[in-house]
Amino acid sequence: MQQTQKLSQLVNEIDVVIRNRFIGQVFSIKAEITDVKKQPDKRWCFLKFIEKDGNTITTEVGAVFWSNAYHSIESFERHTQQKFVSGIEITCMVKVIFHKRFGIRLEVQDIDYAYEIGKLEFERKKTLERLVTEGIAVEVPSTGRYFTRNNQLPLPQVFQKIALVASVNTDGYRDFKKVVEQNKYGYSFSIVDFATQVQGDNAAQQMIAQLEKITAGKEIYDVVVIVRGGGSDTDFKSFDDFELAKCVGMFPMPVLTGIGHDRNTSITDLMARQHKTPTEVGTYIVDSNWDFEDKINQLKDRVANSAERSLENARNTLDYYKRIVASASPETILNRGFAMIMHKGKIITDPAQINEHEEIETYLKDEIILSTVNQKKKNGNDLR
Amino acid sequence: MEMTYDKAFSELRDLVEQIEDRNIQLDTLTAKVKRANELITYCEQKLRGIELDIRSASE
Repeated sequence: MQQTQKLSQLVNEIDVVIRNRFIGQVFSIKAEITDVKKQPDKRWCFLKFIEKDGNTITTEVGAVFWSNAYHSIESFERHTQQKFVSGIEITCMVKVIFHKRFGIRLEVQDIDYAYEIGKLEFERKKTLERLVTEGIAVEVPSTGRYFTRNNQLPLPQVFQKIALVASVNTDGYRDFKKVVEQNKYGYSFSIVDFATQVQGDNAAQQMIAQLEKITAGKEIYDVVVIVRGGGSDTDFKSFDDFELAKCVGMFPMPVLTGIGHDRNTSITDLMARQHKTPTEVGTYIVDSNWDFEDKINQLKDRVANSAERSLENARNTLDYYKRIVASASPETILNRGFAMIMHKGKIITDPAQINEHEEIETYLKDEIILSTVNQKKKNGNDLR
Repeated sequence: MEMTYDKAFSELRDLVEQIEDRNIQLDTLTAKVKRANELITYCEQKLRGIELDIRSASE
């Protein structure tokens, strides 16, 4: 029978064996992660690597990111646009460490996310190809843009009734509402919230459900706005979902997106009219209304100027006629020394109207001369 | 018919062209200017959430 030894003696022996086998070596593994517990303040992350057969976990080992490797979690999230959470599969470099109290653990050195990015890009390409094949989008050659029924809809001149698809009380939601509702021109807006998650497994489905709710309702909106804020939280994967992209591409009201990340354009952005951030969509909406008011103001000036000019013209013409009329009046003519001859109450314009020995009245400026015609003869002087 | 920004704008643009025509009848000018100002006020107020009761000309 073997001699009984202290626990530490046995564990020390295990430690030596493991150390001899694994010391200094780095291994590349691919596995699903679970029980992810991040401690951002300490820059540690505890987790487990597992392997499943169906729903049964067949292999499980604890793992840790210490502060020297914590940055690789942040890089992973930034580059793959995928959150580092339980349930995802990663490829990473690990060391095998044995601790006399905590047992075997894998110390992660780095995450290899090139594979993940490749996979994401492949999926994105496949989704875009499918949208084209199904007639939802038409690729505009060498621009990276796509025409859809939605992004070719005419935009109204003024935006006032807005359906807002967003996660209520997030930064993106607040940014958008602030820009629009506190605009310096005093424009009024009616914004109706269609609340949804904008990240996570159900996000795409929820957004589709809210978009369907918009079309099912009786209300007609000038525009539908989809926003999501930026920040370190970088799961934009939902916006590359085929069904969501299809729904947006076919949507009967204009859709503006402000999905806050400037590195990348999601497929949903491509199906609609893209603005970089929630704030930018808001600014665009307010500026469009200002452009409209500016056009109205220009017309207003033209009305005022033309109306004034037309009245001025009319006044001038009237003055001119007044002068003509005044200069042609008998009074003016008599003032100049001319006389007017009347016979039997009628002005004589033709000498044939009077005969010799008949009485005539000669009207001068201040007096009338009554006389009898003695003789008529031709006027030799040309007074005209 | 309900007034809209688009209807107000195109009616206003037409009116301005008529008002600017030097051969416009003075009798109709006043009415056209009045209607133009009505449309301008409508747009300015509606942008700020004040709904004026104004009908479309095609009614």
